[in-house]
Amino acid sequence: MGISANRSPLPPPLVALAGWIFPGAGYWLIGQRTRALTVGITILILFFLGILIGGVGSVDAPSLGGPDSLFAKVLQKPWFIGQVLAGPISLIAAWIAAVIEAPLSHARVMEIGTLYSAVAGMLNLMAIIDSASRASREAE
Amino acid sequence: MIFAHAMSLLAQTAPTNELPPLLVRPLPVWDYWYLLLIPLCLGVSIVYKSIKCQTMDRVPREATLIFMWILVGMIAAAGVLAALVGIVGR
Repeated sequence: MGISANRSPLPPPLVALAGWIFPGAGYWLIGQRTRALTVGITILILFFLGILIGGVGSVDAPSLGGPDSLFAKVLQKPWFIGQVLAGPISLIAAWIAAVIEAPLSHARVMEIGTLYSAVAGMLNLMAIIDSASRASREAE
Repeated sequence: MIFAHAMSLLAQTAPTNELPPLLVRPLPVWDYWYLLLIPLCLGVSIVYKSIKCQTMDRVPREATLIFMWILVGMIAAAGVLAALVGIVGR
């Protein structure tokens, strides 16, 4: 978990980007392996539990075609803002849901599945900010 | 626009194998939905305390504590709301 002294500090934006691409990777890059594994595995479990509970259709990306403004389109499916923070896995899940035309349900389990994946994304945002902050403190 | 174009290109390369039905259809847990609060609270507790604590050896104890507090808070909130609905519904 300790930070090695003979390693040059990484730029915080790189740490943040790594944390978005794979949850927990930001901590891994700054040498905090235990924290990286704990945070990464927990966030991924929450995200996949969301898909398991609500089906892959619970990750529903807004359609960007049409005359409405981008802001209006994103606001039609605001949960996706939270979900996309979990990283590229959310984009892959949204793509699979669109391709296979996953059944959409308005039942409570669908909402719970959406909640799980969105909470996973928002927790990843906290981890991204914290790992980047620790990287900047390391750089100072 | 780039995102929309990328999504349309990806849609043309549709996967030939279907996903297992378990991941496509919602899980039939309609009667037990309230139990799904437990893993969510556990996950939030673990990640929050992993971020908050300076050393990771404190995380198990702190995460367990906050997990219990969240559950107690949620159960209390549910009780208050149920009572409120009961009063208003009369």
